[in-house]
Amino acid sequence: MKKIITVFLLLISLMGYTQMKPDDVQTFTLKNGMKFLIVEDFTIPNANMYLFYKVGSRNEHQGITGLSHFFEHMMFNGAKKYGPKVFDQTMEFNGGANNAYTRNDITAYTNWFPASATEVIFDLEADRISSLTIDPKMVESERGVVLSERSTGLENSPWRNLIQSMEATAFQEHPYHWPVIGYEDDMKNWTQEDLERYFKTYYAPNNCVIVMSGAIKFENIKVLAEKYLEPIPSQPAPPKVNIVEPKQNGERRITVQREVATPYLTIGYKTPEATSEDYYALSILSSILSSGKSSRLYSELVDKQQLATQIFTEYSESFDPSLFYVYTVTNKGVKHEDLENAIYKEIDKIKNDGISEKELQKIKNQKLMEFYNQVETINGKSNNLGTYEVYFGDYKKMFDAPANYNKVTMTDVQNVAKKYFSKSNRTVGVLKTNPNE
Amino acid sequence: MKSIKQRYIILVLFLALPTLLIAQSYKLPDYTSFKLKNGLTVHLMERHSVPVISISTIIPAGAINDGDQAGLADLTSTALKHGTENYTKSQLDESLDFIGANLSTGASKEFSRISAKFASKDKAKVLAILKEIIVNPVFDAGEFSKEKSRLLVGLEQQKESPRSVIGSYFNKLLYGNHVYGNITEGTKTSIEALSVEDVKTFHKNNYIPNNAAISIVGDFSSKEMKKEISKLFKNWKKGGSTISKLGTTKITPVNENRVLLVNKEDAKETTFYIGSSGISRNNTDFIAIDVINTLFGGRFTSMLNNELRINSGLTYGARSRFSTLKSGGSFYISTFTASKTTEAAIDKTIEVLNTLHNNGIDEKLLTSAKNYVKGQFPPDYETTGQLANLLSQMFWYNFDESFINNFEKNVDNLDLKKANEIIAKYYPKDNLQFVLVGKAADIKSIAEKYGKVKQVEIKEEITSPF
Repeated sequence: MKKIITVFLLLISLMGYTQMKPDDVQTFTLKNGMKFLIVEDFTIPNANMYLFYKVGSRNEHQGITGLSHFFEHMMFNGAKKYGPKVFDQTMEFNGGANNAYTRNDITAYTNWFPASATEVIFDLEADRISSLTIDPKMVESERGVVLSERSTGLENSPWRNLIQSMEATAFQEHPYHWPVIGYEDDMKNWTQEDLERYFKTYYAPNNCVIVMSGAIKFENIKVLAEKYLEPIPSQPAPPKVNIVEPKQNGERRITVQREVATPYLTIGYKTPEATSEDYYALSILSSILSSGKSSRLYSELVDKQQLATQIFTEYSESFDPSLFYVYTVTNKGVKHEDLENAIYKEIDKIKNDGISEKELQKIKNQKLMEFYNQVETINGKSNNLGTYEVYFGDYKKMFDAPANYNKVTMTDVQNVAKKYFSKSNRTVGVLKTNPNE
Repeated sequence: MKSIKQRYIILVLFLALPTLLIAQSYKLPDYTSFKLKNGLTVHLMERHSVPVISISTIIPAGAINDGDQAGLADLTSTALKHGTENYTKSQLDESLDFIGANLSTGASKEFSRISAKFASKDKAKVLAILKEIIVNPVFDAGEFSKEKSRLLVGLEQQKESPRSVIGSYFNKLLYGNHVYGNITEGTKTSIEALSVEDVKTFHKNNYIPNNAAISIVGDFSSKEMKKEISKLFKNWKKGGSTISKLGTTKITPVNENRVLLVNKEDAKETTFYIGSSGISRNNTDFIAIDVINTLFGGRFTSMLNNELRINSGLTYGARSRFSTLKSGGSFYISTFTASKTTEAAIDKTIEVLNTLHNNGIDEKLLTSAKNYVKGQFPPDYETTGQLANLLSQMFWYNFDESFINNFEKNVDNLDLKKANEIIAKYYPKDNLQFVLVGKAADIKSIAEKYGKVKQVEIKEEITSPF
């Protein structure tokens, strides 16, 4: 117990040192419900604007799968003041660049620019949020772009196909059943009406959080936000996603054919959402299993037993209960069944015997380094603050994270392993050249 | 994702043109440099905003030094972490993991690099390990054999992704027998033949302090760090003083259009590069070329992306790049499209290249590109890791902080006349080199339209120039 307290104090003092504290984030909310988080940071003469909309493939249904992601693309294709192509041309002319990403739960837009261009960025965003035009011609050419995006993802990685198939098996009712990119046939058939409805429902100021970091002043940003974004009317709250995935009560398995050197394997255990009390223990468990060459799965299965050439695990934030993933590739001359059983054996060791104090401390040290890496750039700051705000309900949780990880005990980690890593709670996917073997 | 430009930037951070530039007087933070008696160059830059330190060590031991043992430099760099005189492999892994330190090793065409990032309070521990793995690795035979077999499976797996292998084909096609055509990760045959003795010999001959540099950026006192580094590395034995001239051999120029068709039976797309020879990093027009390439294929609204993605929806993204090395480089356009639109996409690509030559660019576009490269410059040099990398590059390619400090001025100095001269001088018009990875049965007749076709199977290994 004493040791944990000491380390906790050390963390606090180190965090003070980073000069990034909860007080460095200033916030305000416009009358239309749009929330702003602002970090002043003059390390480089640049700034960014990250917009998080609470809409993702989770808000879709069959027939419009992939629409959230497609909409992300359409947001660059013209509005009232800045027509097709002009959004990007204007941003780039002013020294700015942008990108965007869509996940199951959210869609984020990212603008990076010299701080001197801040007002132009507000004008551009205000235009597309208030008056996007959905030009049918742009819809058609952009459809080709996302079909190519889907196809190149499948072409260049066996994982894409395998993970999609495993998720579709793990989730039978909840919208995590389909991939963010969508089904090919839906992608070819979205209609103008689908897009217009999506815009009105989800692209409302009250469904958006904006995070800005960089060489900017809070007071100036507030003035710009009031001028450009406050006039945009709020909308009724988007419909709730009601579907709760029923409890899984038996192992599920799926096989996928593709020509590969050796079989690929993925296992998904049903685990809870970001706001669950088990979140931090599960996140630590994932690192215990696969972070670094001294981790349980790597050292045992890749290094000592040479059953696998790679192994990773992943547990990340989500709105609704999702999956704890194990990904691995079988070594040459090894049966994938043997690799799979060896993974269960390692998991059983944790369920039965727990983890060591040293292992736990190792992961806490790693988590602190992760935190430093996140706050080392203005983009890291904005992206992480926004992620904590939308997934965990409060950006301040980002600053609490080191302490929340620190609270986790060896018993907590063992308990979550016991609670979630059961046979009946898992879905297993195998991808191999010959599925008849 | 709207676009994949970020991913591309990460992949080529070190070897290709960074997207340069910006703004209101961005200056490189102060740093100090000194040389140890054994010739090791050291750069130190203090940055105190986050309690971390990044190190980038550059060793003159790249794939160009492989001789006929392709993959030797890369495998040697990986094997550095297999144990040292004072640490077993698992001690190394455990010590680094325990403190959340990241220490990675790898080879590229011209050099090997050992990079580390860690909390500043762990500096003594990590520096001691860094020194050990560079100077005193033991190259354990058992670990080596395991690494080799993982690598062999990895090479086979790479062929499952056209994007992962197309670069090696292109380099071999372009550079032929020149060492810049060497395949960094090696081939099945070359790797199978390597022994732990080969790795030991390679280390002995190439891991020498003269012509190496260590760049350290982060939360430390330069005065103390200088003492520590001097003490740690003073016994690293100096080697032969001449730097390898391998890269400076003349690259045989290409004098006809050539098409390398790489057959992948199960391909549904065609992934392709079209290019020619490029420039070396020390080319005096480096910055001007970066500005022009931004317009042609370096940003979202570039001519290539505009035609191939925005106007036609043929692809998710099209780009062009000058990949620069010490004594030469390549230029290539890269994109991909569904098999059935292969011809449309290649024709369009060539058309855009011709448009660049025939119409040049105008004042407004030039201003836009200049603003863009300036605006996107500072975030490339924001973190301790990025700055340590930059100092390494400065050492290897022999340029100084004036590159950063005068960047804006140099961009501003580019006028329209010079811009159009750059196009004529550096962008290829003919003698184009094509690599197409796709299903040969569907695209072979299309390939023949563009030049003399040589067809290979993706499952075969690259053994000799094409």
